[in-house]
Amino acid sequence: MNSKNPSPTTLFRMVSGFLWLLFFLSIVFIAVYYPEAPQWDWKGIFRINGLTLIIWATVTFFSAVVSTFASKYLIGFRYYNRFIALSLGFTASVSLLVFADYILLFLLSWFGMGFFMARLIGIDARWGEAREAAKYCQKHFSIGSLFLAAGMLLLSFYTNQFTLTGLEQHFNDLPFSILLTSALCIIVAATIQSAMFPFHRWLLSAMTSPTPASALMHAGFVNGAGILLMLLAPLFFKSNTMTLLIIIGGVTAIVAQFAKLIQVNIKQKLGCSTTAQMAFMIMQCGLGFFNAAVVHLILHGFYKAYLFLSSGEEISHISPKKHQRKNLNYLQAIVVSILGILGALFFAWITGKGLKLDGGIFLTLIVAITVGQAMDNIIKRQELSNMKKAIVGPIIFFISIGLYALMYNGSTIFMKDLPMIDHPEPLSVLQIVFGIIFLIGFFIMKLEIYENFPWLYVRLVNDSQPYKKTVLRYKKSSK
Amino acid sequence: MNHQELQDKINQAAHVIGKTWPLYSFVTANPLSGYEGLPFLEAIEQAGNLLDACLLPEAHVFRKAWEENRIDADEIKKLLQEAGKKESPEHYLAELEAHPTVEHLNENHELDRLTVKWLSLFLDEGMAAWPMPFKEMGFYTAWRKLIIYDEDIKKRLNGSIPKSPEEALSRVLANFDEKEHVKIFERHLAALPGWAGFIKYRVENGSIWNHEYPVSLLEFLAVRLWMARCLMAPIMPKLPEKKDPSLIELKYLWLEAWEQTWQNRFLKKIKENSTQSNKRKTSRPHAQLVFCLDSRSEILRRLLEKCGNYETFGSAGSFGLPMNYRNPENGLVNKSSPAMVPSQYAVHEEPAPNQEKNVHRYEKEGKRIGAYKYFLKRMKNILPSAFGYVEGSGFYYGAFMLLRIFKPNTANRLMLRHHEGYESIYEPHICAIDQKDSLEEILLDEKVSLVKGAFDSCGWRTFAALVVFTGHASHSANNPYASSLDCGACAGNPGKRNARTLARLANSKEVRKVLCEKHGIDIPEDTIFIAAEHITSSDDVQLFDTQVPESHQKILQQLKKDLSEVKKSMTKERLNEPQNAVAMAKIKSNSWSEARPEWGLSGHAGYVIGPRSLTINGEFSDCFLSSYDWRIDKDGSILKGIMQGPLLVCQWISNHYYFSTVNNEVFGGGSKITHNITGKYGVMQGNGSDLKMGLPLQSLMKTDDEVFHHPIRLSTLIQAPKSFITQILVSDEKLKSLLDNGWIHLFIMDPEKNNIIERYNHYSNLCLIQI
Repeated sequence: MNSKNPSPTTLFRMVSGFLWLLFFLSIVFIAVYYPEAPQWDWKGIFRINGLTLIIWATVTFFSAVVSTFASKYLIGFRYYNRFIALSLGFTASVSLLVFADYILLFLLSWFGMGFFMARLIGIDARWGEAREAAKYCQKHFSIGSLFLAAGMLLLSFYTNQFTLTGLEQHFNDLPFSILLTSALCIIVAATIQSAMFPFHRWLLSAMTSPTPASALMHAGFVNGAGILLMLLAPLFFKSNTMTLLIIIGGVTAIVAQFAKLIQVNIKQKLGCSTTAQMAFMIMQCGLGFFNAAVVHLILHGFYKAYLFLSSGEEISHISPKKHQRKNLNYLQAIVVSILGILGALFFAWITGKGLKLDGGIFLTLIVAITVGQAMDNIIKRQELSNMKKAIVGPIIFFISIGLYALMYNGSTIFMKDLPMIDHPEPLSVLQIVFGIIFLIGFFIMKLEIYENFPWLYVRLVNDSQPYKKTVLRYKKSSK
Repeated sequence: MNHQELQDKINQAAHVIGKTWPLYSFVTANPLSGYEGLPFLEAIEQAGNLLDACLLPEAHVFRKAWEENRIDADEIKKLLQEAGKKESPEHYLAELEAHPTVEHLNENHELDRLTVKWLSLFLDEGMAAWPMPFKEMGFYTAWRKLIIYDEDIKKRLNGSIPKSPEEALSRVLANFDEKEHVKIFERHLAALPGWAGFIKYRVENGSIWNHEYPVSLLEFLAVRLWMARCLMAPIMPKLPEKKDPSLIELKYLWLEAWEQTWQNRFLKKIKENSTQSNKRKTSRPHAQLVFCLDSRSEILRRLLEKCGNYETFGSAGSFGLPMNYRNPENGLVNKSSPAMVPSQYAVHEEPAPNQEKNVHRYEKEGKRIGAYKYFLKRMKNILPSAFGYVEGSGFYYGAFMLLRIFKPNTANRLMLRHHEGYESIYEPHICAIDQKDSLEEILLDEKVSLVKGAFDSCGWRTFAALVVFTGHASHSANNPYASSLDCGACAGNPGKRNARTLARLANSKEVRKVLCEKHGIDIPEDTIFIAAEHITSSDDVQLFDTQVPESHQKILQQLKKDLSEVKKSMTKERLNEPQNAVAMAKIKSNSWSEARPEWGLSGHAGYVIGPRSLTINGEFSDCFLSSYDWRIDKDGSILKGIMQGPLLVCQWISNHYYFSTVNNEVFGGGSKITHNITGKYGVMQGNGSDLKMGLPLQSLMKTDDEVFHHPIRLSTLIQAPKSFITQILVSDEKLKSLLDNGWIHLFIMDPEKNNIIERYNHYSNLCLIQI
């Protein structure tokens, strides 16, 4: 090796190339079949449908990005080759998860995801805290897998159907108690996987993994829950557990977004953000928009993988002076509100969400707040010329919403054969309550009212601490 | 105990920790600077026992050096023999290898964990959107007001917490003998040396964050000891098992053999070179370029001199200006001179003549960038727009990720920051540091003495038509340690600020007049001074040449051409790549997945203080080079300036590299792969750890197990009459003790005695051994 300019090994480079090839093939498949996704099944063991191809494209993309990054970034790491092997194992597991029709294979791939991820967390075997973290996370993943197995096998044995496609047709035959028990078990598995409160701590203790592995975890592992919920969507309708998903998601989203505010190190901060985003994804499922959840998990993957890989950019010398908060004048407030409403209408018009009195309204409300807040930030900045404010700002929003809608509509069409994934729940009191809570949360955050609650601060600090044994637990010494 | 008594004891104890500098202004300091009064071996034994760390290279490092023939068999045999060890070197290597490093449980785990939890919350410099409540009241008070809610400890607080840190400490220490107090403090400071070292930095270096949110070692100890008392953790922690002294001595012999091997080869090279006929051109050079003494300058100087009629000099990269620098954009002040020398000047920027419009545009651009950044931050933070934001922007993040992976140079051009420097639109103005609001420049005499000092320290009296002061800096992407690759003599900042300031002073007509009249330094009418910046990661040299008149354009253009030629061969040599080296270097400096954008000062081992003729015929890329000419130094005072400034900086750098290499986990930064940036100023490992105080593994090691930087102490060679050095050491106790105690090796080449080289023997006072 040229030690003055070390370069990636051929093996690592070949693996990255192979992953890019797989990604490319998945995209070609999608393009060729679009808009009619293939419905292929092989002896009840494997199957391919719209979701399979979309997830394949997604996971190979993230793996390829991460392995290309890591091939350089990890040069000289003692476990260089092990890293690529584990990443491949993980990628294969996720791919199998959406490829499997046979239940046992499906369960195996779920366990495999956790197994490989835990190995990545503890990849540096010389490091005590990393071993503890791996153990702690593996414990969570194993329990999650057990719950999933219990939920799935309960359905399988009751209906004597051992394929996912078989099960789907028999949900109607099952007694409610079985449906409910199974749904609850599966929800537990999903909430562990996506680090929902109160199972969030494993994610905040997993920073012993190399940075690229964290990127893979936050872009490819935690959202396993979204895939799981999507695959079994009808179960949650039939077992009346959609409301539970909204509650789990809604509560976690709020807590995690507040916990994010107090984090003083970048990876913990990103960890809280992931939990909040996954919570939102689960909420989307609870509202009946499983397709939106899938789009969210992909877009969040882009966002979070980028932020992890660039997490070395957080060093800077800034002034301790607080940013002066400026308030809008009446005219500006009116403009902001109008633009927010326009954005929401545009969103509703091109995605079809929120046009009826159902859960879609909730999602549209979030768009309105987002656009409103963005405009609020732009309008009061004196550094930006009025031209920029008046023209560029709105254009960017409409393009962004348009891009989102493109993905959302595209994937909805491609996955239309999956049962009940786009089946909005009727507007409920709970949805309205959460809508109001989110609005209150927005104003609390915007006006920084939270600063008057020291006990809340400490509570959030403690709830977002990593597991004790993964911090400062070991020392090294030479004899 | 009253405040003063406690403070005295704490000051006494604080020598056991170094300072942890913030990564936005990284200083390669000797982490054992508090032990510099002791002999090296004793210092590493003491510090090693307190920190439970080995401070000599690990056995496998010696093994590798031995196999690579970096340790002469003769040298090690001789040293072993003298120590009465009769077996073969192999035998002793095997003995060393039988003692590997082991991991064990941290018995003060809970206390350490809680201390870090509360400290990191308090010390944050802008990462958290919701900062720790009561922060403005200081660490102790904020902690006291919040700890009552902490589930981890609140049930064990039993009773009220004292109002002041002094009272808390007094109560905790009440049962201990007065004499033990310092020891207790030492052990608790050494438990988290990185964090404690950062507090030391904040207090002693006038951090503006400490101004707003004060913390001190006293408060740190009060918090820690009070929690220790509540948790029933030992107030006087046990020291780890004492290290086997014979093993340390054995390792030390290997270290000495390694150093002596390097020295022998180095001195041989110097002798060969200096006796060679001097190829130096006698005609007036086209241009003279002054570089930082940094070992990365050597290759540029060597290749440039070969390329044309150029004369080069080595000087400390701060160019003798003990100054602070105020950033024109955010008004933040940073030190821009050696960290151990107090600043006397403050430099700020003012719009250059006829540039008000451009300055205005630049400022506006800066504000716009700030506005965009703030916008992104707010969108990510606030519920529930964070969810909408991710959906609306995810696509862009994905696209930009691809761009950064496949087209790092293009991506770099799209990053949210200024893409052009402000050097052409602003002018640096130098003021005395103590004046608060007035921006009046320093007096003429002071300016003259600064310029004269710069010329003196380079041994420089005849001037070319174009003189370039070249500062240096490094560009790297996604690198928390970026500033560690900038100029070490400017406290981890780009050296161009100092270079520009000096060039402006030297161009001043009044200054030149006084120089000529009072000091006999005659700068020709046609000489102009400009500044430049050497980017060490891409080997670019950018000249700040907007004020060069028409008459000098020809020389300037030729210099630019030569520099771009030199860049090609320089990159080739530096990266050891025959093809495409320039493009590779560029990508390395822009790529976000590059953990080793350049090797920085890794590999340095020596320091030559003497004229360029000593080194001009050879390759000395492992050496710092200070230009010094004893002939113009009437009384040794110029040499004294070099030994009290640059030499001390090099000592710090060298020992920083040494300790970070031999124990990267304690004194370095550990591996970048698992870094977690905290508070915008530092890094921890994984979920949380001690604050990392030194260079990361990737700056020093080829792989997790193989060093790139050879951990040996700095060997300095000075060409000067022995009497100069004797006189300097007699008057400077501290410098003498550094030499006597073996923190640096010194060789003297006496031009008055036919250039014989003698070794300064640190075991017997001022006795020189001829080589």
